[in-house]
Amino acid sequence: MSTIDIELHSVSKKFGANRIVKNVNLSIPKGKFVSILGPSGCGKTTTLNMIAGFESPTSGEIRIRGRDQNGVPPEARKIGLVFQNYALFPHMTVAENVGFGLKMQGRSRQEIAAGTKRALKSVRLEGFENRYPKELSGGQQQRVAVARAIAPSPSVLLLDEPLSNLDLKLREAMRVELKEIQQDLGMTFVYVTHDQEEAMAMSDRIIVMQGGVVAQEGAPADIYGRPRTSFVADFIGKSNILPISDVGDAETGNGSLRVLLEAAGVPIMAAPMPGLGPDKARFCCIRPEAVRLADAAGALDEPANLLTGTIQKVVNLGAYLEAWLLVDGGITLKSMIRSTRLDKLVVGRRVELAIAHAAVQLLEE
Amino acid sequence: MNRLLAILFKISLAAILAFITLPLLVVIAASVSPTPAVTFRPSDWTLGWYAALWDSRWLDPFLLSVKLAATVSVASGVLGALGAYSVAYAKCPGHTAIMSFLLSPMSVPQIVKGVAIVLFLSSAGLFNLLGTPGLVVAHIVLTLPFVVRMAATAMFNFDKRLDRAARILGAGPAQRIRYVLLPLIRSGLFSGMTFAFILSFNNIPISVFLVKPGQTTLPITVINHLEYSLDPVLAAVNVASLLFILGAILLFEKIGGFSAQFHGGSK
Repeated sequence: MSTIDIELHSVSKKFGANRIVKNVNLSIPKGKFVSILGPSGCGKTTTLNMIAGFESPTSGEIRIRGRDQNGVPPEARKIGLVFQNYALFPHMTVAENVGFGLKMQGRSRQEIAAGTKRALKSVRLEGFENRYPKELSGGQQQRVAVARAIAPSPSVLLLDEPLSNLDLKLREAMRVELKEIQQDLGMTFVYVTHDQEEAMAMSDRIIVMQGGVVAQEGAPADIYGRPRTSFVADFIGKSNILPISDVGDAETGNGSLRVLLEAAGVPIMAAPMPGLGPDKARFCCIRPEAVRLADAAGALDEPANLLTGTIQKVVNLGAYLEAWLLVDGGITLKSMIRSTRLDKLVVGRRVELAIAHAAVQLLEE
Repeated sequence: MNRLLAILFKISLAAILAFITLPLLVVIAASVSPTPAVTFRPSDWTLGWYAALWDSRWLDPFLLSVKLAATVSVASGVLGALGAYSVAYAKCPGHTAIMSFLLSPMSVPQIVKGVAIVLFLSSAGLFNLLGTPGLVVAHIVLTLPFVVRMAATAMFNFDKRLDRAARILGAGPAQRIRYVLLPLIRSGLFSGMTFAFILSFNNIPISVFLVKPGQTTLPITVINHLEYSLDPVLAAVNVASLLFILGAILLFEKIGGFSAQFHGGSK
């Protein structure tokens, strides 16, 4: 019980007639970096605001460190929050901003100074104590916002798309830093974002939300490798999502299932999906990097589907080539192939493709 | 064409400034004029008229005006801040209607306000409120819209995410007002209070109905004096008031800091 920091039990939120969050159940383990990932309007920010206490659930229960938070105002929840626009106090110096939480706790001057120093050190922003937020760059303001939120040592830190106002390079650097800060402090981070790369890069656990419900929850590798729905497969990374029919029974041996690619009328073997009955599978997902050239260099040492197709288009992305392949029967597959194989990818050439059984993932909807 | 416009703009600006300041120069010159007739002779001047101001005839009205303006400014500041808070910040039910109501005295001519207040006091049998109490209330009616207006603008521009930020950091309602809201609307509030102070200190059209013997404000004393004589004492009174108002503005500015609004380093 003590290993769970935040629990949501059948939490729903209505604004007027709109149900923004529908019957969400979550448990966020202590000391982990958990992302709530989803497109805008999926209910992720409302969920965060309910955890913070700025919104109260229409029904359901939120527990923080085992205690029901119903009626507990944000100022009494003892959690940290990093805002998307930072929301630094413009009339206070960096030190005053960072020390604000400790001051509100009624700590002594020395404790505030020590806590401020420690927090600024962990975000690597020492020497800026007497600057005002306006005098700092976006990345520095971001660090101040994180330092301010962690200075009072909350057990949980909520982060609301904190990197979305930064440019790409800085964003990528801050991802690594945020993860390091989280690990150094051993604090539970709940990170709300619409950026799947961010979520993949930092999280121990990802909660994918769609239309107010949890679409899937799991470790990043699980979410990426074994998406349950076409929404998740499409939202996280790139994928080929193909309608299927005639899901057969498990074949003996490796347990792969025979399915028919609807558009092409081609049978392929797919990975078994525990908990998903054969009658429920509607689509299959094939990641572009799983579509390989079936020659000596691309050979797989596991059971694979062999298909024949024609190369339609090749885009060179530097390290990788993105190729569109028209498979016999009439479906197009997108594939990612290493640039070293550029000589094999000539538009119009016929190629043999290999896709591992395990890489064909059946989806519910 | 643009250059021509720019030159025309500068000329008209200079003309306006001259129009405002030149009469002041005449008054200043008159206040040091040696003869009772208001003349201007640079060769020959005196501070005697200023010395004449050190007399209860002028000092008492001056002190009443200062006390009145200070009381009105503080009262309007408190009431205006509270009004602006519920109207522009908390957005209480009917806030647009209440805002219009709070600002409405601005659109009534001052002389009408003065007559209305006297008629109200007389029909309500409250004649004993004439003098200082009546002046205070009437001047609050006069100045409140200005304070509400400026404080409301400041509150309207206040980023409410800062309130949330303070809240999640553990600040209760009173702490959020003290440490976050007030410092950030301070300059707007203080410029409104400065306005209130000046409006009250200089007011004639309303005060004229409410003063009573022994409780007369400085501008009314000047008007009364003007009925009998036009001598350099009046010029001296005006120059002294002008300096006093300037000092008051500088003081308010020092406390409120409304001209230096967060150029990265307000303190």
